Amino acid sequence: MNLHIRIEAGRNALSALGRQPISTAMTVLALAIVIALPVGLFTVLTNMENLLGNWRNQAQISLFLHKDASPQAIQHLQKALAQTKGVVEVRYVSADAALAEFQKHSGMVAAIQTLGENPLPASFVVQLDPLRYPPSALQQLIGHWAQDPAVATAQSDLHWVARLQAILALGQRAALILAVLLALGAVLVMGNTIRLHIAQRRDEIDVASLVGATRSFIRRPFLYQGLLQGAVAGLVAWGIVVAAFYWLQVPVDRLAALYGTQFNLVALTPEQGATLVIASALLGWLGSLLAVGRHLDHTFA
Amino acid sequence: MIRLINVTKHYPGRHHVLREVNLHLRKGEMALLTGPSGAGKSTLLKMLLRLEGVSNGTLMVNGVDLSTLKRRHIPAYRRRIGVVFQDHKLLMDRDLFSNVALTLQVAGLPDRQVQSRVRAALDKVGLGDRLREYPATLSGGEQQRVGIARAIVHTPEILLADEPTGNLDPRLSNEILDLFRDFHHHGTTVLIATHDQGQIDRLGLPVLRLEGGRLHAPEDHQ
Ligand SMILES: Nc1ncnc2c1ncn2[C@@H]1O[C@H](COP(=O)(O)OP(=O)(O)OP(=O)(O)O)[C@@H](O)[C@H]1O
Ligand SMILES: [Mg+2]
Repeated sequence: MNLHIRIEAGRNALSALGRQPISTAMTVLALAIVIALPVGLFTVLTNMENLLGNWRNQAQISLFLHKDASPQAIQHLQKALAQTKGVVEVRYVSADAALAEFQKHSGMVAAIQTLGENPLPASFVVQLDPLRYPPSALQQLIGHWAQDPAVATAQSDLHWVARLQAILALGQRAALILAVLLALGAVLVMGNTIRLHIAQRRDEIDVASLVGATRSFIRRPFLYQGLLQGAVAGLVAWGIVVAAFYWLQVPVDRLAALYGTQFNLVALTPEQGATLVIASALLGWLGSLLAVGRHLDHTFA
Repeated sequence: MIRLINVTKHYPGRHHVLREVNLHLRKGEMALLTGPSGAGKSTLLKMLLRLEGVSNGTLMVNGVDLSTLKRRHIPAYRRRIGVVFQDHKLLMDRDLFSNVALTLQVAGLPDRQVQSRVRAALDKVGLGDRLREYPATLSGGEQQRVGIARAIVHTPEILLADEPTGNLDPRLSNEILDLFRDFHHHGTTVLIATHDQGQIDRLGLPVLRLEGGRLHAPEDHQ
């Protein structure tokens, strides 16, 4: 197909959009908002996952051992722990080492010494990647270790991780549903806009088909309009998400400072942004394709 | 060039508009199609443009059998025909140049050729110096001439016109029909629907008369 025909169609599409700047801008903005919503939600979830990732090294389980546990039992447990999926590290803390650490942190040297005997048990400190397990399996795993004959008690700070994970999974599902619905909405918005454009240019379409325009010749400017408006809407949506995250970074900084850490929100990578623009352009194109298909049928009947 | 063999046409749920019509218009001939209002003149022209289908019979144009023409071949077929309407069907939001250029653009002609051919066509109808004006600033006769320029800019083999002088006074009617005759002298096959008796008498062309669904035509045109 000749390039100049496409260029002419592109010019035609631009001038059609330019003739109605306000309605074009409103369509683009409506599309942008519709697209920014699920994208923003996905981005929030991604950031929460990153946050979880930062903390998962600190997600550890302490298995305190029975004072009278046999060395064989302890060794056996250690081997089992090391072979468990998702276990990053297993560290044995002897009773003496625990005491030394306790003294260093608490400074209660005198108080411990009056006891005469070391009251602290030996323990295994297990570092675990909580993302490797669904929340319920994580609970089961800890319960399983607590049942081990060598273990007196199991202590974990994984419960909140598990909960957060469950919430994230829920959020992802919700974002997906929202994304599908809103993509459908975007297609409908675009389709309706193009339908209005077609109605306004009915005469032109009729005359063009009388002098021998093909279906694709008539369709092309409308498809370009959809593609173009979709792409611009994608860009605007990207802008909206970046602006929103920029605005959110201030309270996030304040919150992170309270926990003595630092957390940088990541809005969208350039690749994600480009994908967003392309996907949104395709939605616009699809919307106009559906509208044009239906409304050209009676011209060519 | 145009050949109808036992062509019958009825619109859905209506009685017949055309009954077993036979017509033969040879290459380079010019004829007038006449008959009372509602006789089916426009219907016949629409069938020649493939805007309406044939109910029964065979309709051959330029060696193409329209009764079996596939939908996707209609555009290419229409590009070999020029058509002029009583209401000229100009696009009011485009200047004269763009109106005429449309015929060539749909055929995918490059810009440079479009430029020169549109100018030549508008020159031929006497509007070569008004390319950038809009149809609304033109008189009825001038608008009709733009419609003619649009119909002939691609030098079609066949020129059809549906009451092209319907709204014009006799002097302008003469002017327009003389234009058609001019194209006819250059070899174009021309068929004009009209019920302007003055023109029918003046031009002395073969007259095809539609009435009651039948076509009355001279022997050598059946
Ligand atoms: N799309 C249509 N659907 C149904 N009936 C139609 C349609 N178009 C035309 N007709 C009928 O077909 C008959 C012929 O109409 P047509 O327009 O061909 O007549 P005509 O000879 O051009 O008349 P006029 O001189 O008034 O233009 C009329 O009875 C008309 O009502
Ligand atoms: Mg008519």
